[in-house]
Amino acid sequence: MNRHWNSYLNEKLSRRELLRVASTGFGSVALAGLLQAEGQANPLTVKQPHFPAKAKRVIFLFMHGGPSQVDTFDYKPLLKRDHGKPLPFAKRRVVSAETFNLLQSPWQFKQYGQSGAWVSDLFPHVAKHVDDLCFIKSMWGSNSRHGGALLELHTGSDTFVRPSMGSWVTYGLGSENQSMPGYVTICPTQSHGGANNFSSAFLPAPYAGTPVGSVGVPAREARIPFIENKETPRNIQRMEIDYTQAMNREQLEHTGPDAALEGRIESFELAFRMQSAAPELQDLSGETEATRKMYGLDNPVTEDFGRQCLMARRLSERGVRFVQVSHTYKWDQHANLKRDHEGNAREVDQPIAALLADLKARGLLKDTLVLWAGEFGRTPTAQGSDGRDHNPEAFTVWLAGGGVKAGLSYGSTDDYGYYSVEKKVHFHDLHATMLHLLGMDHLRLTYRYAGRDFRLTDIHGNVVTDIIA
Amino acid sequence: MWKLTLALWGAASAMAQSPDGFFEKNIRPLFIAKCNGCHGGATPAGGLSLLTREALLKGGGRGTAVVAGKPAESLLMKAVMHTAGTLKMPPGPKLSDAELAFLTQWVEMGAPWGVAVGQKPETGKYWSFVPPVAGKIPAVNGWGKNPIDAFVMAKLVEKGLKPAAAADKRALIRRATYDLIGMPPTPEEVKAFLADESPQAFEKVVERLLASPRYGERWGRHWLDVARYADSNGLDENLVYKNAFRYRDYVIQAFNKDKPYDQFVHEQLAGDLLPDSGDLKTTFERWTATGFLSLGAKMLAEDDPVKMEVDIIDEQIDTIGRTFMGLTVGCARCHDHKFDPIPTADYYSLAGIFKSTKTMENFKVVAKWHEHVLAPKEDRDRLEAHLAKVEEKNKEIGKITKAENEKLTSAAKRKVGAYLLAAHEVRETVALAVLPAGASVLVEREASSFDAGNVAKTVEPKKTNVPKGGKGPFFAEYKIAVEKAGDYQIELRDEERGAGTADLYIGGVMVKKGEGAVQNREASPDAGGWAPLGIFRLEQGENVLRLQHKNRFPYFAKMRLAASPLPAGTRAPRTLVQIARHYGINASILDQMVEHMERSNGAAASVLYAFENFGKQRPAGEWTSPAAKLFEGFAASSREALAERYQALFLEVVDGAPEGDAPRKALRELLTEKFGPFRAPEDARDYYAETARVEVARLEEERKKLEAATPEFPQAMGVREGDKITDLPIHLRGSHINLGQVVPRRFLRAIAGENQQPLSAKSSGRLELAQWLTGKDHPLTARVMANRIWRWHFGRGIVPSSDNFGRLGEKPVNQPLLDWLALRFIESGWSVKAMHRLIMSSATYQMSSAYDERSFETDPENSLQWRFSRRRLEAEPIRDAILAVSGGLQLVNGGSILTYKDRQYVANTSKRGGVDYDRAIRAVYLPVVRSSMYEQFVAFDLPDPSVPQGDRNASVIAPQALFMMNGSVVLQHTRKMAERLLALPLADDGARVREAYELALSRPATGAEVDQALTFLGRIEKELPAEAKDRRVLQWQSFCKSLLATNEFIYIN
Repeated sequence: MNRHWNSYLNEKLSRRELLRVASTGFGSVALAGLLQAEGQANPLTVKQPHFPAKAKRVIFLFMHGGPSQVDTFDYKPLLKRDHGKPLPFAKRRVVSAETFNLLQSPWQFKQYGQSGAWVSDLFPHVAKHVDDLCFIKSMWGSNSRHGGALLELHTGSDTFVRPSMGSWVTYGLGSENQSMPGYVTICPTQSHGGANNFSSAFLPAPYAGTPVGSVGVPAREARIPFIENKETPRNIQRMEIDYTQAMNREQLEHTGPDAALEGRIESFELAFRMQSAAPELQDLSGETEATRKMYGLDNPVTEDFGRQCLMARRLSERGVRFVQVSHTYKWDQHANLKRDHEGNAREVDQPIAALLADLKARGLLKDTLVLWAGEFGRTPTAQGSDGRDHNPEAFTVWLAGGGVKAGLSYGSTDDYGYYSVEKKVHFHDLHATMLHLLGMDHLRLTYRYAGRDFRLTDIHGNVVTDIIA
Repeated sequence: MWKLTLALWGAASAMAQSPDGFFEKNIRPLFIAKCNGCHGGATPAGGLSLLTREALLKGGGRGTAVVAGKPAESLLMKAVMHTAGTLKMPPGPKLSDAELAFLTQWVEMGAPWGVAVGQKPETGKYWSFVPPVAGKIPAVNGWGKNPIDAFVMAKLVEKGLKPAAAADKRALIRRATYDLIGMPPTPEEVKAFLADESPQAFEKVVERLLASPRYGERWGRHWLDVARYADSNGLDENLVYKNAFRYRDYVIQAFNKDKPYDQFVHEQLAGDLLPDSGDLKTTFERWTATGFLSLGAKMLAEDDPVKMEVDIIDEQIDTIGRTFMGLTVGCARCHDHKFDPIPTADYYSLAGIFKSTKTMENFKVVAKWHEHVLAPKEDRDRLEAHLAKVEEKNKEIGKITKAENEKLTSAAKRKVGAYLLAAHEVRETVALAVLPAGASVLVEREASSFDAGNVAKTVEPKKTNVPKGGKGPFFAEYKIAVEKAGDYQIELRDEERGAGTADLYIGGVMVKKGEGAVQNREASPDAGGWAPLGIFRLEQGENVLRLQHKNRFPYFAKMRLAASPLPAGTRAPRTLVQIARHYGINASILDQMVEHMERSNGAAASVLYAFENFGKQRPAGEWTSPAAKLFEGFAASSREALAERYQALFLEVVDGAPEGDAPRKALRELLTEKFGPFRAPEDARDYYAETARVEVARLEEERKKLEAATPEFPQAMGVREGDKITDLPIHLRGSHINLGQVVPRRFLRAIAGENQQPLSAKSSGRLELAQWLTGKDHPLTARVMANRIWRWHFGRGIVPSSDNFGRLGEKPVNQPLLDWLALRFIESGWSVKAMHRLIMSSATYQMSSAYDERSFETDPENSLQWRFSRRRLEAEPIRDAILAVSGGLQLVNGGSILTYKDRQYVANTSKRGGVDYDRAIRAVYLPVVRSSMYEQFVAFDLPDPSVPQGDRNASVIAPQALFMMNGSVVLQHTRKMAERLLALPLADDGARVREAYELALSRPATGAEVDQALTFLGRIEKELPAEAKDRRVLQWQSFCKSLLATNEFIYIN
């Protein structure tokens, strides 16, 4: 399949076009400039959206495991009142575990900001930014297991391997930075779908998320695959490449024009440049002490996630289209809700608040869409004595910047937060809305594969226009 | 406004422009998603059905719904536009502007309709559904060696193209060798071929390569692409398919043996159903072959078992459709196939065959797939009997555990009063402060200075303190002497808490219980600094402090001790175990009671409301629990008195208060709640009677021995007949909840016709399916495979979409050639090797890849074969070639290098899996770990192994260059190659350069190239850091790196 991509190389192309084909995301700025006039053959060339965009790029803060909505942002006074009583209506037909009576939140909720948004004591730092946030309280998904729900959140499908949302976005818009991949995912999960959560599936390879590190690798040690060479000094490596290129050019004189051979010559130059540019991803030494402190890099509790958030800002600032950071598989509190949700929140709260403040201070927040989400929520009913089960029927995500209405709380759940009831928003709707904010119509962003036009939203999705500023 | 925008969208595709296409793309999905839920089915709402055009035009109770061509007069449009008064459709949010625009345009177009649901397929006469017929071999002049060339030439002539000249012998042997065995020819092989001037010289090379065991490793790998082979599940739960490699090895052997393709198909679909050969080895081989059906990526953690099963069946049908027939049968799961004649009914006919097949042992979370035990019957029986014994032990253990737990909890339930008071004390306990700076520390010990213990002396933070191979409990004892008896505060420094903390014993008595592990953390961030363990009484003289943990001893740096900092006469706060001991109750159940009270926190619905709110101002009548009634008019003088009251009431309940009394029922619930405070604690066993504990330990030991003695036999993934043979109902819109009419198990009617021999009620029908696929009249199977073979030789199929022969695939560029090959394939007895001989002996195969400007103008993609297409090697031959030229390649014949156990998580939630991808074996033997693939495979286009893919990409992307520059395999093996060159007894460096060219590029270096290389070596020598050792090796390694990075190395002419 993927003839579309293959055919780049098979068709008769000018040398310049070939260079663009070869760049696949790691071209140089100069090269991009040189080629800009010639249109779209470089898969990561900036493409015009369908209509004027409110957001230019996305930072996705992924809370793997399923944070509890009723313990974070979805305040339910009746849950406290009726603690210990049975849920007064039917539970979902298919659940991952048995749950019992209602369990009140161990945390106090307070109202913050002009908008008066309710936030629990778990997120004191984020709470200070509620007037920049747009909460969707009525999220729902279809799958009650991590694997299915992760894939649904990232790709829209819990049944098949499909391109991830970051791939669709990069496919639709290209990337503003031609020295880095257009879609970067920092320390991504290896479980619950693993790379399928950031793969491009049938979209061309340059749209796949480039992993920087992996779960289990501290953010400070995270690297792009094959980017490091501890054996070969850089000057020697340059000489090796020059020699290779000389041989390649000589061969070309015998073969006649050949798109792939010429493209490959350029790919080495791009790789070499990228290798030089990459360390800058990790090198946070240029950041001020105040910034480092703000992200919590001075505290072992917040250091790792803080570093991820700071890297995300640096990448976004440099025009990387879609950046994902992952707080990996920590939020799954079937037990020890109090202790562990608290520990999790402590690790992310300050870095997230710092990211929001930093983006705002730099004037980036207005066209950067920040999304905070887990793969599902949790039941208001108790699993065991101190836990909550998965709940895809209701959960909260929030968005910030990028043209969403700040200080809004959209949709609602029932009295206890078990089901989304009012203005329900499915993953497909969230995807459609995200694309819309980026200037793309989810119905028109299609890719022909196996004889069918595919979309991120498949045959679903409605733009939630009410949350758009 | 929307119409305007719509006009701009028009470009989408041909499919969208045809009226039916417009309907299929824009309207049918909308009906399915938004309307058919009510307006579908047998009794549509309001009498209006949207299932067929006729029904729509006829309309429902309100009359016709659509006036073709006139949106303004169509009720449907008014309803969706919300201009029909109260009639607003669909219920809920209004359709989006885009959807409304589509509907409007569609009605304007006259409401065209695709193939209606349930309608019979028009079998049509699409080329691929008509069996191939032997065509006349075209008469062409002067060129060619066999009929293939005549067919090719005929097309070339049509377009005014002329074939390229024959390739030179070096190019030809290099091409053929990579093509058949996926490795470069050795310089000796090249020399021999050049020397052989006989007309059969090339034929001999082909025969030699076909006879090599390396051949199956190359062509088996092609098949593994279309069998979506992988060594792990990948999709949601990434469990290791430890035994998948047996299927892989089976495939490699099948190609090596030139197993007839029809037999190959039969074995993979129904190996377990073939007539007994009487030979065990053959039987096992056939069972292993059915691994094909089981290897797919599955959702193993799906809470809905029915959905899980239909999804697995769907994966099987989709794979079979694409792999053998080049049809996307899977599309018909939810609706009739929109382009190929496959109605939904036919899909469920096939699904019935696989519903009657056992692929899975169960559909639990996480589900277990079936594996064949590759052992003789008596061994399999023995295994079963053995497993039954293990189960027996489990039952015995369960019986004792249950009885002991019962004892433990019944005793606790008789002491509710004590538990309440004790829990209250625990909750009131104030956390201790760290000793103030300047406190007079009496003793300070390094953690590693313990006087007795079984943990490691030297440890780092975040590493376990447990020495390898040790057995818990783990402990460290410190002898600490104090001058006088009294209370002392004990503190630990830099204690790791994430994985749980240790219990503390003083003088052999437990004084503090450790905390449990924090979920998903190996060790929490280092708290840093001192933290108090507690204040404990020590006796005058020596005291033994013992820290102990069941299975993982947490790290800490130091321990220190100072006199209690509390004001004189203040009683030190007691720990939970001390409180439990004081009240004579169970510490773990007390812990549960504390936890319960933390949650309930005085909630109005709690039966313990009165106790929890004792002494607090609460509004009258707030207590909503039925238990409130029991306390009416009762005024407790003290907390103790209230506890006594509770004690008395709970005792009544335990001793059998009458049923049906609501207040007492509420009390009983607290005692019996599944996760209530009086459940058996997790560590209940620690409290069992000595005899029971010994007995359980003994039984467990026996079970362990039994388990260890489980007879082990090789196992293979695969399927067998299901426990029940059954037909399936159509799943309406693909939903397993919404079922329609039951359809008989049978084959695709568009090919097999309406009058099929019914399948037996006693077997699934898999064998019959396999036989039908390979029947001589089947229009697809032979064509699809012949096309695949062509594709794998030439880099492009005669049908370029080699996995899709349906209407949405591409048409053959040379159908007479394809049909002729397909028929020859069948005639040859489905011999794949015969096809290689045929194809490779053609002039078409032996053409050079030389460029020709005029031909290139006409046919830039070389779809008609005017030359041999230059091709980038795939991921595996690239890696294999690097290893081969370094001399480091280790040849093995099968086997697995995965160190995991079967069904173990290969990449778990906290780290990526460990697989030794640098192992110097052929890439086909490296594991393919789904969703966490080897980076070199990913960079070089190994297809996503969740769907069949017979047409790999050959992209050119920067990560490939990074691999050639920095990949560990490249670095290791270029060094090896350098050492190899230096060790050769050659006259000079010039000769070494020439040898390197022969090894890597199968050709001699020109004089200019030798000079260039020598210059390069000299420049590197100067550039190397002064302190570098092995200067010669490094110099030559740089040369080898450069050489292997060239286009010539990985592109085959």
